Amino acid sequence: MENKIQIENVSFVYSPGTTYRTDALDDVSIGFEKGKITGLIGHTGSGKSTLVQMLNGLLKPASGRVLIDGEDIWEKPKEISKVRFRVGLVMQYPEYQLFEETVRKDIAFGPKNMGMSDEQIAKSTETVAKIVGLDESVLDKSPFDLSGGQKRRAAIAGVMAMEPEVLVLDEPAAGLDPEGRNSIFAAIADYQKQKNATVIIVSHSMEDMARWCDNVVVMSHSKVYMAGTTDEIFERASELVSVGLDIPEITRLMMLLKKRGLDVDLGAYTVDAAIASVKKLFDENKDR
Amino acid sequence: MGEPFIRVENLEFSYDDEENPIPALRNVSVDIASGEYVAVIGRNGSGKSTFAKLLNLILEPTGGHIYINGKDIADENMTDEDVFAIRRDIGMVFQNPDNQLVATIVEDDVAFGPENLGIPSAEIRKRVDEALATVGMSEFAKHEPARLSGGQKQRVAIAGIVAMLPKCIIFDESTAMLDPVGRANVVDMMEKLNREQGITVITITHYMNEAVRADRVIVFNDGEIVADGKPAEVYANSELIQRAGLDLPQCASLVEGLKAYGISVDGDCTTPEKCADAILRAIGGSRGK
Repeated sequence: MENKIQIENVSFVYSPGTTYRTDALDDVSIGFEKGKITGLIGHTGSGKSTLVQMLNGLLKPASGRVLIDGEDIWEKPKEISKVRFRVGLVMQYPEYQLFEETVRKDIAFGPKNMGMSDEQIAKSTETVAKIVGLDESVLDKSPFDLSGGQKRRAAIAGVMAMEPEVLVLDEPAAGLDPEGRNSIFAAIADYQKQKNATVIIVSHSMEDMARWCDNVVVMSHSKVYMAGTTDEIFERASELVSVGLDIPEITRLMMLLKKRGLDVDLGAYTVDAAIASVKKLFDENKDR
Repeated sequence: MGEPFIRVENLEFSYDDEENPIPALRNVSVDIASGEYVAVIGRNGSGKSTFAKLLNLILEPTGGHIYINGKDIADENMTDEDVFAIRRDIGMVFQNPDNQLVATIVEDDVAFGPENLGIPSAEIRKRVDEALATVGMSEFAKHEPARLSGGQKQRVAIAGIVAMLPKCIIFDESTAMLDPVGRANVVDMMEKLNREQGITVITITHYMNEAVRADRVIVFNDGEIVADGKPAEVYANSELIQRAGLDLPQCASLVEGLKAYGISVDGDCTTPEKCADAILRAIGGSRGK
């Protein structure tokens, strides 16, 4: 197990020295495993957005270090823009940032800025358009003529086209319908696989986290509250509830059944695992 | 029961695209009674938002009729005053909390609607205070909207509508951009306005766990209504829900999955609480077989 990004004792304070002083990160240390999808969850105000902005150098730690492949990204502050090409950040509602005449040009904007050749750009655009499921015919349209779900995919493709080693996405599926959500997550998983990229997803949707992430990091009150594999984290569902976080609906059902005396698997956080666990109950009952 | 509050008959709507108009709604007929709590669901492009905008007269039908309180809104004899009366009766809360607040102080924003209705200022004061109390935002009356959270902003937007004393509020994906806490607050608010003040609530949403809290769920697909009933009835038809591009609530998926093993769990399984009850009943029933 190798960490692509390592956060070491990072602290960050907004508006230091004023009455609005807010501690956003308090001595946070955490690693993000290479080639895995890690979910980052926590309340609004828990520090997760601040942490995300540390990962590509948009914010500089007040103290502590951010390491990528073992190297401190602030070692040479003048070269911080290079980090932003290696760590692609997809903000919330990225479709509001589309601006070019055509989808193709919009996707090419980032790669062009990082100095990719035209040939490379064309190839990269083709690859990412396929990953996010945008047809060739859509690429020559104005981004403003696309549906909401298509706009979101075009915006994400624009970051993927830079071929970042690390892809960070803040609520990539917010506001989309179930089909739209699934197609976005499937595209992210596909990018991860094709590039062996390290992916970090911030989301409030526990159902989506449970389904798509290998690892989960839980933030609370400017600190890492827990971190582990998705299995490990959702097994501790009652602790998630105690810090005021949602748990997958199916996990809540398992907890309710357990409370009422049924011997179910509390680690079941996907529908399939829950079906297996509940089926066992019925089987055992029949045998009595 | 007399006239329904809203009657929609053979409603048609197409978006203009020069040569080939894009049909968004086809032959939609539905009644909504005063005091109902209705969730409207459907995938993107199913016509559900168009439907909401037609009810509030933001869009004009290209065919069919909408009657509000028995009045045909396409009637040529409708005066401007009639149109204003309908817009006052049917308020709308939109998706983006940042796009609907206009004033720099919370209470001024809530007063904006009633002021435009020409209501005397003493009455406005009373309405603003009451509306802010209703949404639990009284202590923020003098705050700047810009410094509020998304959920708080939506509650201020709701207060602005409540202050106009509407008969109906349409929530057009009003929770989509909120975090879980903000979302829960806004949904609690919908329920409260409906239960305590008798306001007709129509909520358009992608979230299944919000839809199951309504009394009635209407499903749109491809510009048509494909299901209409109590949440438990609608979600019991898993095949239809999937065809409409929607997700089943996780508990309903579990029940659906158990069927494949010949295990049937009957009853309302739309929430974990109800599903736990149903499973316990089913296990009790299977004992000794």
